[in-house]
Amino acid sequence: MIEVKELRKSFKSLEAVKGSSFTVEEGEIFGFLGPNGAGKSTTINILSTMLKLTSGEVKINGYDVTKEKNKVRESIGIIFQENTLDEKLTAKENLMLHCKLYRVPKKSRKARIDEVLAIVDLTDNLNQTVEKFSGGMKRRLEIARGLLHYPKVLFLDEPSVGLDPQTRAHIWEYILKLKEKENMTMFLTTHYLDEAEISDRIAIMDHGEIIALDTPKRLKAQLGGDVIELQTTDNQAALEEINEKFSVIEATLHEEGITLKVKNSDEFVSTFMKQLETPVTGLDIRKPTLNDVFLSMTGREIRD
Amino acid sequence: MEGMIAIWQRDVMKFFKDRARLFGSMTMPILLLIVFGVGMGGSMESLMQNVAGGDLDFNYVAFIFPGIVSMTLLMTSVFSSLSIIQDRDFGYMREILVSPVSRVSIALGKMLGSATVAVMQGLLLFLLMPVLGVTIDLVSFFVLLPVMFLLACAFASLGLLIASVISSTQAFQLVVNAIVMPMIFLSGALFPLNNMPAWIDVLVTLNPVTYGVDLMKHIMIDVDQLSREVYVEMGLDLDFFGIPVTPLGEVLFIIGFTAVLIVLATLSFSRANR
Repeated sequence: MIEVKELRKSFKSLEAVKGSSFTVEEGEIFGFLGPNGAGKSTTINILSTMLKLTSGEVKINGYDVTKEKNKVRESIGIIFQENTLDEKLTAKENLMLHCKLYRVPKKSRKARIDEVLAIVDLTDNLNQTVEKFSGGMKRRLEIARGLLHYPKVLFLDEPSVGLDPQTRAHIWEYILKLKEKENMTMFLTTHYLDEAEISDRIAIMDHGEIIALDTPKRLKAQLGGDVIELQTTDNQAALEEINEKFSVIEATLHEEGITLKVKNSDEFVSTFMKQLETPVTGLDIRKPTLNDVFLSMTGREIRD
Repeated sequence: MEGMIAIWQRDVMKFFKDRARLFGSMTMPILLLIVFGVGMGGSMESLMQNVAGGDLDFNYVAFIFPGIVSMTLLMTSVFSSLSIIQDRDFGYMREILVSPVSRVSIALGKMLGSATVAVMQGLLLFLLMPVLGVTIDLVSFFVLLPVMFLLACAFASLGLLIASVISSTQAFQLVVNAIVMPMIFLSGALFPLNNMPAWIDVLVTLNPVTYGVDLMKHIMIDVDQLSREVYVEMGLDLDFFGIPVTPLGEVLFIIGFTAVLIVLATLSFSRANR
Protein backbone atom coordinates (compact mmCIF):
# COMPACT_ATOMS: atom_id res chain seq x y z
CA MET A 1 0.00 0.00 0.00
CA ILE A 2 2.87 2.34 0.78
CA GLU A 3 6.23 1.77 -0.88
CA VAL A 4 9.16 3.97 -0.06
CA LYS A 5 12.47 3.38 -1.80
CA GLU A 6 15.67 5.25 -1.03
CA LEU A 7 13.79 8.40 -0.09
CA ARG A 8 15.95 11.48 0.31
CA LYS A 9 15.04 15.06 1.08
CA SER A 10 17.45 17.94 1.47
CA PHE A 11 16.72 21.49 2.50
CA LYS A 12 19.64 23.53 1.19
CA SER A 13 22.58 22.14 3.16
CA LEU A 14 20.51 20.10 5.60
CA GLU A 15 19.69 16.49 4.73
CA ALA A 16 16.41 15.80 6.53
CA VAL A 17 15.77 12.29 5.20
CA LYS A 18 18.77 10.20 4.24
CA GLY A 19 17.72 7.39 1.99
CA SER A 20 15.05 5.56 3.93
CA SER A 21 13.12 2.60 2.53
CA PHE A 22 10.13 0.72 3.89
CA THR A 23 6.84 -0.79 2.79
CA VAL A 24 3.49 -0.80 4.52
CA GLU A 25 1.04 -3.59 3.73
CA GLU A 26 -2.66 -3.13 3.16
CA GLY A 27 -4.66 -3.07 6.37
CA GLU A 28 -1.59 -2.58 8.50
CA ILE A 29 -1.21 -0.05 11.30
CA PHE A 30 2.25 1.34 10.85
CA GLY A 31 3.71 3.34 13.73
CA PHE A 32 6.26 5.95 12.79
CA LEU A 33 8.23 7.22 15.74
CA GLY A 34 11.17 9.47 16.30
CA PRO A 35 12.33 12.42 18.34
CA ASN A 36 11.46 15.90 17.15
CA GLY A 37 13.55 16.89 14.19
CA ALA A 38 14.20 13.28 13.20
CA GLY A 39 12.57 13.70 9.81
CA LYS A 40 9.11 12.34 10.63
CA SER A 41 7.12 15.35 9.51
CA THR A 42 9.22 15.71 6.39
CA THR A 43 8.47 12.07 5.53
CA ILE A 44 4.73 12.46 6.14
CA ASN A 45 4.66 15.63 4.07
CA ILE A 46 6.33 13.86 1.18
CA LEU A 47 4.03 10.85 1.45
CA SER A 48 0.99 13.14 1.42
CA THR A 49 2.23 15.12 -1.65
CA MET A 50 2.73 18.29 0.39
CA LEU A 51 6.47 18.33 -0.14
CA LYS A 52 8.62 17.45 -3.11
CA LEU A 53 11.20 14.73 -2.61
CA THR A 54 14.82 15.25 -3.58
CA SER A 55 15.37 11.69 -4.81
CA GLY A 56 13.98 8.20 -4.44
CA GLU A 57 10.57 6.74 -5.14
CA VAL A 58 7.35 6.80 -3.15
CA LYS A 59 4.19 4.96 -4.18
CA ILE A 60 0.87 5.12 -2.38
CA ASN A 61 -1.87 2.72 -3.46
CA GLY A 62 0.26 2.07 -6.54
CA TYR A 63 0.46 5.74 -7.53
CA ASP A 64 3.66 7.74 -7.67
CA VAL A 65 3.61 10.78 -5.35
CA THR A 66 5.50 12.99 -7.77
CA LYS A 67 3.86 11.96 -11.03
CA GLU A 68 0.31 11.11 -9.96
CA LYS A 69 -0.33 13.61 -7.20
CA ASN A 70 -4.08 13.79 -7.66
CA LYS A 71 -4.49 10.00 -7.67
CA VAL A 72 -2.47 9.86 -4.47
CA ARG A 73 -4.53 12.65 -2.93
CA GLU A 74 -7.71 10.74 -3.68
CA SER A 75 -6.29 7.63 -2.01
CA ILE A 76 -5.27 9.21 1.26
CA GLY A 77 -6.88 10.84 4.24
CA ILE A 78 -4.94 12.96 6.67
CA ILE A 79 -5.67 13.86 10.23
CA PHE A 80 -3.34 16.72 10.88
CA GLN A 81 -1.55 17.52 14.06
CA GLU A 82 -3.10 20.98 14.13
CA ASN A 83 -6.77 21.80 13.79
CA THR A 84 -7.76 22.33 10.17
CA LEU A 85 -11.52 22.66 10.51
CA ASP A 86 -13.33 25.80 9.46
CA GLU A 87 -14.60 26.90 12.84
CA LYS A 88 -17.06 29.42 11.48
CA LEU A 89 -18.98 26.69 9.70
CA THR A 90 -21.14 23.95 11.14
CA ALA A 91 -20.08 20.32 11.36
CA LYS A 92 -22.29 19.48 8.42
CA GLU A 93 -20.91 22.29 6.28
CA ASN A 94 -17.36 21.22 7.04
CA LEU A 95 -18.12 17.64 6.07
CA MET A 96 -20.05 18.63 2.94
CA LEU A 97 -17.13 20.78 1.77
CA HIS A 98 -14.82 17.84 2.24
CA CYS A 99 -17.12 15.61 0.17
CA LYS A 100 -16.95 18.13 -2.65
CA LEU A 101 -13.20 18.62 -2.45
CA TYR A 102 -12.66 14.86 -2.48
CA ARG A 103 -15.22 14.01 -5.14
CA VAL A 104 -17.47 11.85 -3.02
CA PRO A 105 -20.38 10.86 -5.30
CA LYS A 106 -23.34 13.19 -4.80
CA LYS A 107 -25.79 10.42 -3.97
CA SER A 108 -23.80 8.94 -1.12
CA ARG A 109 -22.83 12.20 0.59
CA LYS A 110 -25.64 12.41 3.08
CA ALA A 111 -25.38 8.77 4.07
CA ARG A 112 -21.64 9.00 4.54
CA ILE A 113 -21.86 12.13 6.66
CA ASP A 114 -24.37 10.39 8.91
CA GLU A 115 -22.18 7.31 9.02
CA VAL A 116 -18.93 9.02 10.04
CA LEU A 117 -20.69 11.25 12.56
CA ALA A 118 -22.20 8.17 14.18
CA ILE A 119 -18.77 6.59 14.46
CA VAL A 120 -17.41 9.56 16.41
CA ASP A 121 -20.65 10.14 18.35
CA LEU A 122 -21.39 13.59 16.99
CA THR A 123 -24.70 12.90 15.28
CA ASP A 124 -26.51 15.38 17.53
CA ASN A 125 -24.05 18.16 16.72
CA LEU A 126 -24.59 18.08 12.98
CA ASN A 127 -25.82 21.66 12.66
CA GLN A 128 -23.73 23.20 15.40
CA THR A 129 -20.97 25.69 14.61
CA VAL A 130 -17.56 24.12 15.15
CA GLU A 131 -16.45 27.15 17.19
CA LYS A 132 -18.69 25.92 20.00
CA PHE A 133 -17.14 22.44 20.07
CA SER A 134 -14.76 21.31 22.83
CA GLY A 135 -11.22 20.31 21.91
CA GLY A 136 -12.11 16.62 21.95
CA MET A 137 -15.18 17.13 19.78
CA LYS A 138 -13.16 19.07 17.21
CA ARG A 139 -10.64 16.27 17.09
CA ARG A 140 -13.39 13.71 16.60
CA LEU A 141 -14.99 15.75 13.87
CA GLU A 142 -11.63 16.02 12.19
CA ILE A 143 -11.21 12.27 12.31
CA ALA A 144 -14.71 11.84 10.91
CA ARG A 145 -13.85 14.20 8.09
CA GLY A 146 -10.65 12.34 7.26
CA LEU A 147 -12.72 9.19 6.74
CA LEU A 148 -15.47 10.65 4.58
CA HIS A 149 -13.96 9.73 1.23
CA TYR A 150 -13.03 6.20 2.37
CA PRO A 151 -9.29 6.69 2.01
CA LYS A 152 -7.17 3.63 1.38
CA VAL A 153 -4.46 5.05 3.59
CA LEU A 154 -5.12 7.19 6.62
CA PHE A 155 -2.30 9.34 7.93
CA LEU A 156 -2.63 10.17 11.58
CA ASP A 157 -0.15 12.84 12.58
CA GLU A 158 -0.24 13.02 16.37
CA PRO A 159 -3.99 12.39 16.42
CA SER A 160 -4.47 12.69 20.15
CA VAL A 161 -2.06 15.47 21.03
CA GLY A 162 -3.40 17.85 23.65
CA LEU A 163 -6.36 15.70 24.63
CA ASP A 164 -7.21 14.36 28.05
CA PRO A 165 -6.61 10.63 28.61
CA GLN A 166 -10.31 9.75 28.50
CA THR A 167 -10.84 11.44 25.13
CA ARG A 168 -7.66 9.86 23.86
CA ALA A 169 -8.93 6.43 24.75
CA HIS A 170 -12.23 7.18 23.02
CA ILE A 171 -10.59 8.38 19.87
CA TRP A 172 -8.53 5.25 19.66
CA GLU A 173 -11.63 3.20 20.09
CA TYR A 174 -13.17 4.98 17.09
CA ILE A 175 -10.09 4.60 14.97
CA LEU A 176 -9.85 0.89 15.64
CA LYS A 177 -13.55 0.42 14.97
CA LEU A 178 -13.02 1.95 11.59
CA LYS A 179 -9.97 0.03 10.76
CA GLU A 180 -11.80 -3.20 11.39
CA LYS A 181 -14.69 -2.13 9.20
CA GLU A 182 -12.82 -0.73 6.22
CA ASN A 183 -9.52 -2.61 6.36
CA MET A 184 -7.83 0.74 6.07
CA THR A 185 -4.08 1.11 6.14
CA MET A 186 -2.93 3.48 8.85
CA PHE A 187 0.24 5.47 9.12
CA LEU A 188 0.59 6.83 12.60
CA THR A 189 2.95 9.20 14.33
CA THR A 190 2.57 9.86 18.00
CA HIS A 191 4.40 11.12 21.03
CA TYR A 192 2.53 8.73 23.27
CA LEU A 193 4.45 5.49 23.09
CA ASP A 194 1.70 3.50 24.76
CA GLU A 195 -0.49 4.47 21.79
CA ALA A 196 2.08 3.18 19.37
CA GLU A 197 1.66 -0.27 20.96
CA ILE A 198 -1.43 -0.86 18.83
CA SER A 199 0.71 -0.72 15.68
CA ASP A 200 1.34 -3.91 13.77
CA ARG A 201 4.82 -2.68 13.03
CA ILE A 202 6.87 0.27 14.19
CA ALA A 203 9.60 2.21 12.47
CA ILE A 204 11.87 4.41 14.51
CA MET A 205 13.49 7.29 12.72
CA ASP A 206 16.42 9.28 13.99
CA HIS A 207 18.62 11.83 12.23
CA GLY A 208 16.79 11.17 8.97
CA GLU A 209 17.36 7.44 8.99
CA ILE A 210 15.20 4.49 9.95
CA ILE A 211 17.12 2.80 12.71
CA ALA A 212 14.63 0.08 13.62
CA LEU A 213 11.61 -1.52 12.00
CA ASP A 214 9.75 -4.43 13.54
CA THR A 215 6.69 -5.48 15.51
CA PRO A 216 6.43 -3.85 18.95
CA LYS A 217 6.83 -7.26 20.54
CA ARG A 218 10.07 -8.07 18.77
CA LEU A 219 11.46 -4.61 19.29
CA LYS A 220 10.96 -5.05 23.00
CA ALA A 221 12.39 -8.54 22.93
CA GLN A 222 15.51 -7.20 21.19
CA LEU A 223 16.35 -5.31 24.34
CA GLY A 224 16.84 -8.71 25.95
CA GLY A 225 15.78 -8.89 29.55
CA ASP A 226 14.18 -6.62 32.07
CA VAL A 227 14.44 -2.99 32.95
CA ILE A 228 15.34 -1.59 36.32
CA GLU A 229 14.74 2.05 37.12
CA LEU A 230 17.09 3.11 39.86
CA GLN A 231 17.33 6.27 41.92
CA THR A 232 20.21 6.85 44.29
CA THR A 233 21.60 9.69 46.36
CA ASP A 234 24.39 10.15 43.83
CA ASN A 235 23.48 8.79 40.43
CA GLN A 236 26.82 9.60 38.83
CA ALA A 237 28.76 7.68 41.45
CA ALA A 238 26.29 4.83 41.31
CA LEU A 239 26.72 4.54 37.56
CA GLU A 240 30.48 4.28 37.88
CA GLU A 241 30.11 1.71 40.61
CA ILE A 242 27.69 -0.35 38.52
CA ASN A 243 29.94 -0.36 35.49
CA GLU A 244 32.76 -1.50 37.69
CA LYS A 245 31.13 -4.21 39.76
CA PHE A 246 28.20 -5.68 37.87
CA SER A 247 27.53 -7.19 34.49
CA VAL A 248 24.56 -5.36 32.99
CA ILE A 249 23.47 -5.20 29.36
CA GLU A 250 23.24 -1.48 29.46
CA ALA A 251 23.22 1.33 31.99
CA THR A 252 22.04 4.81 31.02
CA LEU A 253 22.05 7.90 33.17
CA HIS A 254 19.18 10.32 32.72
CA GLU A 255 17.57 13.15 34.67
CA GLU A 256 15.46 11.00 36.93
CA GLY A 257 18.04 8.32 37.69
CA ILE A 258 19.62 5.34 36.02
CA THR A 259 17.98 2.83 33.70
CA LEU A 260 19.55 -0.62 33.79
CA LYS A 261 18.94 -3.46 31.45
CA VAL A 262 19.63 -6.90 32.87
CA LYS A 263 19.04 -10.47 31.75
CA ASN A 264 17.29 -11.72 34.81
CA SER A 265 16.09 -9.06 37.19
CA ASP A 266 15.32 -11.38 40.15
CA GLU A 267 18.80 -12.81 40.36
CA PHE A 268 20.41 -9.47 39.71
CA VAL A 269 18.59 -7.46 42.33
CA SER A 270 19.34 -9.76 45.23
CA THR A 271 23.10 -9.46 44.80
CA PHE A 272 22.94 -5.89 43.57
CA MET A 273 21.24 -4.54 46.68
CA LYS A 274 23.82 -6.17 48.92
CA GLN A 275 26.85 -4.98 47.03
CA LEU A 276 26.01 -1.45 45.90
CA GLU A 277 27.54 1.08 48.25
CA THR A 278 25.74 4.20 47.02
CA PRO A 279 22.47 4.45 48.99
CA VAL A 280 19.45 3.53 46.90
CA THR A 281 16.40 5.78 47.20
CA GLY A 282 14.13 4.12 44.71
CA LEU A 283 13.95 0.94 42.66
CA ASP A 284 11.44 -0.24 40.09
CA ILE A 285 11.57 -3.44 38.08
CA ARG A 286 9.49 -3.84 34.95
CA LYS A 287 9.23 -5.48 31.59
CA PRO A 288 10.57 -3.36 28.75
CA THR A 289 8.22 -0.86 27.09
CA LEU A 290 8.48 0.92 23.77
CA ASN A 291 9.89 3.84 25.68
CA ASP A 292 12.87 1.70 26.63
CA VAL A 293 13.27 0.61 23.04
CA PHE A 294 13.15 4.22 21.98
CA LEU A 295 15.61 5.32 24.62
CA SER A 296 18.12 2.64 23.79
CA MET A 297 17.84 3.23 20.04
CA THR A 298 18.00 6.99 20.01
CA GLY A 299 19.59 7.72 23.36
CA ARG A 300 16.78 10.17 24.02
CA GLU A 301 13.30 10.25 25.46
CA ILE A 302 10.71 10.84 22.74
CA ARG A 303 9.77 14.18 24.25
CA ASP A 304 13.28 15.65 24.10
CA MET B 1 -14.86 21.86 -11.28
CA GLU B 2 -16.93 20.96 -8.26
CA GLY B 3 -13.96 21.61 -6.02
CA MET B 4 -13.71 25.11 -7.42
CA ILE B 5 -17.41 25.71 -6.79
CA ALA B 6 -17.08 24.37 -3.25
CA ILE B 7 -14.24 26.80 -2.50
CA TRP B 8 -16.27 29.60 -4.05
CA GLN B 9 -19.38 28.72 -2.06
CA ARG B 10 -17.49 28.55 1.18
CA ASP B 11 -16.30 32.15 0.96
CA VAL B 12 -19.78 33.38 0.05
CA MET B 13 -21.34 31.35 2.84
CA LYS B 14 -18.88 32.79 5.32
CA PHE B 15 -19.62 36.31 4.15
CA PHE B 16 -23.27 35.92 5.05
CA LYS B 17 -22.36 34.60 8.47
CA ASP B 18 -20.26 37.65 9.25
CA ARG B 19 -22.73 40.49 9.59
CA ALA B 20 -20.28 42.87 11.23
CA ARG B 21 -18.15 42.69 8.11
CA LEU B 22 -21.16 43.25 5.89
CA PHE B 23 -22.08 46.55 7.50
CA GLY B 24 -18.61 47.59 8.64
CA SER B 25 -17.34 47.66 5.08
CA MET B 26 -20.18 50.00 4.06
CA THR B 27 -18.99 52.90 6.21
CA MET B 28 -16.00 53.87 4.08
CA PRO B 29 -17.87 54.20 0.76
CA ILE B 30 -20.68 56.13 2.45
CA LEU B 31 -18.17 58.46 4.04
CA LEU B 32 -16.49 59.07 0.68
CA LEU B 33 -19.85 59.65 -0.98
CA ILE B 34 -20.57 62.36 1.58
CA VAL B 35 -17.11 63.93 1.46
CA PHE B 36 -16.66 63.90 -2.31
CA GLY B 37 -20.24 63.91 -3.46
CA VAL B 38 -21.85 66.41 -1.15
CA GLY B 39 -18.74 68.26 0.02
CA MET B 40 -17.06 68.75 -3.33
CA GLY B 41 -20.29 68.56 -5.29
CA GLY B 42 -21.17 72.25 -5.08
CA SER B 43 -17.86 73.57 -6.31
CA MET B 44 -17.57 70.90 -9.01
CA GLU B 45 -21.04 71.69 -10.26
CA SER B 46 -20.42 75.44 -10.49
CA LEU B 47 -17.10 74.72 -12.19
CA MET B 48 -18.89 72.67 -14.80
CA GLN B 49 -21.49 75.39 -15.23
CA ASN B 50 -18.61 77.73 -16.17
CA VAL B 51 -17.15 75.19 -18.57
CA ALA B 52 -20.48 74.61 -20.23
CA GLY B 53 -21.13 78.32 -20.20
CA GLY B 54 -24.72 78.31 -19.13
CA ASP B 55 -27.47 76.17 -17.80
CA LEU B 56 -26.43 72.61 -17.12
CA ASP B 57 -28.25 69.78 -15.45
CA PHE B 58 -25.25 68.26 -13.77
CA ASN B 59 -25.25 66.10 -10.65
CA TYR B 60 -21.74 65.51 -9.39
CA VAL B 61 -22.90 62.70 -7.09
CA ALA B 62 -24.13 60.81 -10.13
CA PHE B 63 -20.66 61.18 -11.57
CA ILE B 64 -18.90 59.99 -8.47
CA PHE B 65 -21.29 57.15 -7.66
CA PRO B 66 -19.87 54.68 -10.24
CA GLY B 67 -16.41 55.55 -8.93
CA ILE B 68 -17.39 54.79 -5.35
CA VAL B 69 -18.98 51.51 -6.43
CA SER B 70 -15.76 50.55 -8.27
CA MET B 71 -13.76 51.52 -5.24
CA THR B 72 -15.95 49.30 -3.07
CA LEU B 73 -15.44 46.45 -5.54
CA LEU B 74 -11.70 46.98 -5.41
CA MET B 75 -11.43 47.23 -1.63
CA THR B 76 -13.78 44.31 -0.91
CA SER B 77 -12.34 41.91 -3.42
CA VAL B 78 -8.74 42.62 -2.52
CA PHE B 79 -9.40 42.46 1.20
CA SER B 80 -11.43 39.27 0.84
CA SER B 81 -8.26 37.59 -0.28
CA LEU B 82 -7.12 38.03 3.27
CA SER B 83 -9.13 34.84 3.79
CA ILE B 84 -6.27 32.97 2.14
CA ILE B 85 -3.87 34.15 4.80
CA GLN B 86 -6.40 33.34 7.51
CA ASP B 87 -6.98 29.90 6.04
CA ARG B 88 -3.26 29.38 6.15
CA ASP B 89 -3.04 30.56 9.76
CA PHE B 90 -6.00 28.49 10.93
CA GLY B 91 -4.82 25.43 9.02
CA TYR B 92 -7.75 25.13 6.62
CA MET B 93 -5.48 25.80 3.67
CA ARG B 94 -3.83 22.41 4.32
CA GLU B 95 -7.19 20.68 4.00
CA ILE B 96 -7.62 22.37 0.62
CA LEU B 97 -4.06 21.83 -0.57
CA VAL B 98 -3.95 18.08 0.13
CA SER B 99 -7.25 17.54 -1.65
CA PRO B 100 -7.29 16.37 -5.28
CA VAL B 101 -8.57 19.78 -6.43
CA SER B 102 -6.26 21.27 -9.05
CA ARG B 103 -4.28 24.35 -8.13
CA VAL B 104 -5.94 26.41 -10.88
CA SER B 105 -9.35 25.50 -9.46
CA ILE B 106 -8.22 26.61 -6.02
CA ALA B 107 -7.08 29.98 -7.36
CA LEU B 108 -10.23 30.42 -9.46
CA GLY B 109 -12.51 29.33 -6.62
CA LYS B 110 -10.91 31.84 -4.32
CA MET B 111 -11.11 34.55 -6.96
CA LEU B 112 -14.79 33.88 -7.66
CA GLY B 113 -15.54 33.84 -3.94
CA SER B 114 -13.95 37.23 -3.32
CA ALA B 115 -15.50 38.67 -6.49
CA THR B 116 -19.01 37.51 -5.56
CA VAL B 117 -18.73 39.00 -2.11
CA ALA B 118 -17.46 42.26 -3.63
CA VAL B 119 -20.31 42.48 -6.13
CA MET B 120 -22.86 41.94 -3.39
CA GLN B 121 -21.18 44.60 -1.31
CA GLY B 122 -21.20 46.93 -4.31
CA LEU B 123 -24.87 46.26 -4.99
CA LEU B 124 -25.72 47.21 -1.43
CA LEU B 125 -24.63 50.74 -2.31
CA PHE B 126 -27.38 50.87 -4.89
CA LEU B 127 -29.82 51.04 -2.01
CA LEU B 128 -28.53 54.57 -1.42
CA MET B 129 -29.46 55.73 -4.89
CA PRO B 130 -32.82 57.32 -4.00
CA VAL B 131 -31.16 59.32 -1.21
CA LEU B 132 -28.45 60.54 -3.56
CA GLY B 133 -30.84 61.37 -6.37
CA VAL B 134 -29.05 58.97 -8.71
CA THR B 135 -31.05 56.81 -11.08
CA ILE B 136 -30.31 53.87 -13.34
CA ASP B 137 -32.62 52.15 -15.82
CA LEU B 138 -33.10 48.41 -15.78
CA VAL B 139 -31.28 47.72 -19.06
CA SER B 140 -28.19 49.62 -17.92
CA PHE B 141 -28.35 47.77 -14.63
CA PHE B 142 -28.19 44.39 -16.35
CA VAL B 143 -25.32 45.59 -18.54
CA LEU B 144 -23.59 46.85 -15.43
CA LEU B 145 -23.77 43.56 -13.49
CA PRO B 146 -21.33 41.54 -15.65
CA VAL B 147 -19.02 44.54 -15.81
CA MET B 148 -19.03 44.78 -12.05
CA PHE B 149 -18.34 41.07 -11.79
CA LEU B 150 -15.47 41.25 -14.26
CA LEU B 151 -13.95 44.16 -12.40
CA ALA B 152 -14.34 42.35 -9.10
CA CYS B 153 -12.60 39.29 -10.58
CA ALA B 154 -9.70 41.45 -11.74
CA PHE B 155 -9.31 43.01 -8.31
CA ALA B 156 -9.75 39.67 -6.54
CA SER B 157 -6.97 38.14 -8.62
CA LEU B 158 -4.75 41.01 -7.53
CA GLY B 159 -5.58 40.28 -3.89
CA LEU B 160 -5.00 36.59 -4.51
CA LEU B 161 -1.55 37.17 -5.88
CA ILE B 162 -0.61 39.43 -2.98
CA ALA B 163 -1.98 36.91 -0.47
CA SER B 164 -0.15 34.01 -2.08
CA VAL B 165 3.24 35.63 -1.58
CA ILE B 166 2.68 37.36 1.76
CA SER B 167 2.36 35.34 4.91
CA SER B 168 1.15 37.69 7.65
CA THR B 169 -2.11 39.57 8.00
CA GLN B 170 -0.36 42.77 9.03
CA ALA B 171 1.99 42.76 6.09
CA PHE B 172 -0.93 42.02 3.78
CA GLN B 173 -2.82 45.05 5.00
CA LEU B 174 0.19 47.32 4.59
CA VAL B 175 0.96 46.07 1.09
CA VAL B 176 -2.67 46.25 0.05
CA ASN B 177 -3.00 49.82 1.26
CA ALA B 178 0.18 50.77 -0.51
CA ILE B 179 -1.16 49.34 -3.77
CA VAL B 180 -4.90 49.90 -3.55
CA MET B 181 -4.94 53.53 -2.41
CA PRO B 182 -2.87 54.84 -5.32
CA MET B 183 -4.95 52.68 -7.67
CA ILE B 184 -8.10 54.43 -6.46
CA PHE B 185 -6.67 57.94 -6.51
CA LEU B 186 -5.14 57.45 -9.96
CA SER B 187 -8.27 56.09 -11.58
CA GLY B 188 -10.62 59.03 -11.76
CA ALA B 189 -12.97 57.26 -9.37
CA LEU B 190 -13.21 60.15 -6.93
CA PHE B 191 -12.29 63.19 -9.02
CA PRO B 192 -11.54 63.77 -12.69
CA LEU B 193 -7.89 63.46 -13.64
CA ASN B 194 -6.99 66.23 -16.04
CA ASN B 195 -3.77 68.03 -16.90
CA MET B 196 -1.68 65.63 -14.84
CA PRO B 197 2.11 65.49 -15.12
CA ALA B 198 3.23 62.98 -17.76
CA TRP B 199 4.48 60.33 -15.32
CA ILE B 200 1.17 60.29 -13.45
CA ASP B 201 -0.58 60.08 -16.77
CA VAL B 202 1.36 56.89 -17.54
CA LEU B 203 0.27 55.38 -14.22
CA VAL B 204 -3.35 56.34 -14.87
CA THR B 205 -3.17 54.77 -18.32
CA LEU B 206 -1.75 51.49 -16.99
CA ASN B 207 -4.15 51.31 -14.05
CA PRO B 208 -6.94 48.77 -14.71
CA VAL B 209 -9.19 50.61 -12.26
CA THR B 210 -9.22 53.56 -14.68
CA TYR B 211 -10.99 51.48 -17.30
CA GLY B 212 -13.32 49.83 -14.84
CA VAL B 213 -14.44 53.20 -13.53
CA ASP B 214 -14.75 54.55 -17.07
CA LEU B 215 -16.88 51.59 -18.17
CA MET B 216 -19.16 51.99 -15.20
CA LYS B 217 -19.52 55.72 -15.77
CA HIS B 218 -20.41 55.22 -19.40
CA ILE B 219 -23.07 52.69 -18.46
CA MET B 220 -24.52 54.62 -15.54
CA ILE B 221 -24.33 58.21 -16.72
CA ASP B 222 -26.12 59.47 -19.79
CA VAL B 223 -22.92 60.78 -21.37
CA ASP B 224 -24.48 61.83 -24.67
CA GLN B 225 -26.42 64.49 -22.86
CA LEU B 226 -23.18 66.11 -21.68
CA SER B 227 -21.56 68.79 -23.80
CA ARG B 228 -18.13 68.03 -25.29
CA GLU B 229 -16.46 70.47 -22.88
CA VAL B 230 -17.96 68.84 -19.81
CA TYR B 231 -17.21 65.36 -21.19
CA VAL B 232 -13.53 66.26 -21.55
CA GLU B 233 -13.40 68.17 -18.28
CA MET B 234 -14.79 65.18 -16.37
CA GLY B 235 -12.02 62.98 -17.77
CA LEU B 236 -14.31 60.77 -19.83
CA ASP B 237 -12.26 60.88 -23.04
CA LEU B 238 -9.51 58.42 -22.21
CA ASP B 239 -6.74 57.40 -24.51
CA PHE B 240 -4.23 54.59 -24.26
CA PHE B 241 -0.91 56.21 -25.21
CA GLY B 242 -2.62 58.14 -27.99
CA ILE B 243 -5.07 55.42 -29.08
CA PRO B 244 -8.69 56.27 -28.26
CA VAL B 245 -10.14 53.86 -25.73
CA THR B 246 -13.23 51.83 -26.65
CA PRO B 247 -15.46 49.86 -24.25
CA LEU B 248 -14.33 46.59 -25.88
CA GLY B 249 -10.71 47.61 -25.48
CA GLU B 250 -11.34 48.35 -21.82
CA VAL B 251 -12.97 44.98 -21.23
CA LEU B 252 -10.10 43.19 -22.98
CA PHE B 253 -7.54 45.11 -20.93
CA ILE B 254 -9.25 44.06 -17.70
CA ILE B 255 -9.57 40.42 -18.83
CA GLY B 256 -5.89 40.37 -19.78
CA PHE B 257 -4.93 41.85 -16.42
CA THR B 258 -7.00 39.19 -14.61
CA ALA B 259 -5.62 36.31 -16.65
CA VAL B 260 -2.00 37.26 -16.00
CA LEU B 261 -2.55 37.61 -12.27
CA ILE B 262 -4.45 34.31 -12.00
CA VAL B 263 -1.65 32.47 -13.75
CA LEU B 264 0.89 34.02 -11.39
CA ALA B 265 -1.24 33.22 -8.35
CA THR B 266 -1.70 29.60 -9.49
CA LEU B 267 2.04 29.21 -9.93
CA SER B 268 2.53 30.60 -6.49
CA PHE B 269 0.03 28.08 -5.05
CA SER B 270 1.69 25.15 -6.79
CA ARG B 271 5.01 26.15 -5.35
CA ALA B 272 3.63 26.42 -1.83
CA ASN B 273 4.32 23.50 0.41
CA ARG B 274 1.86 24.38 3.08
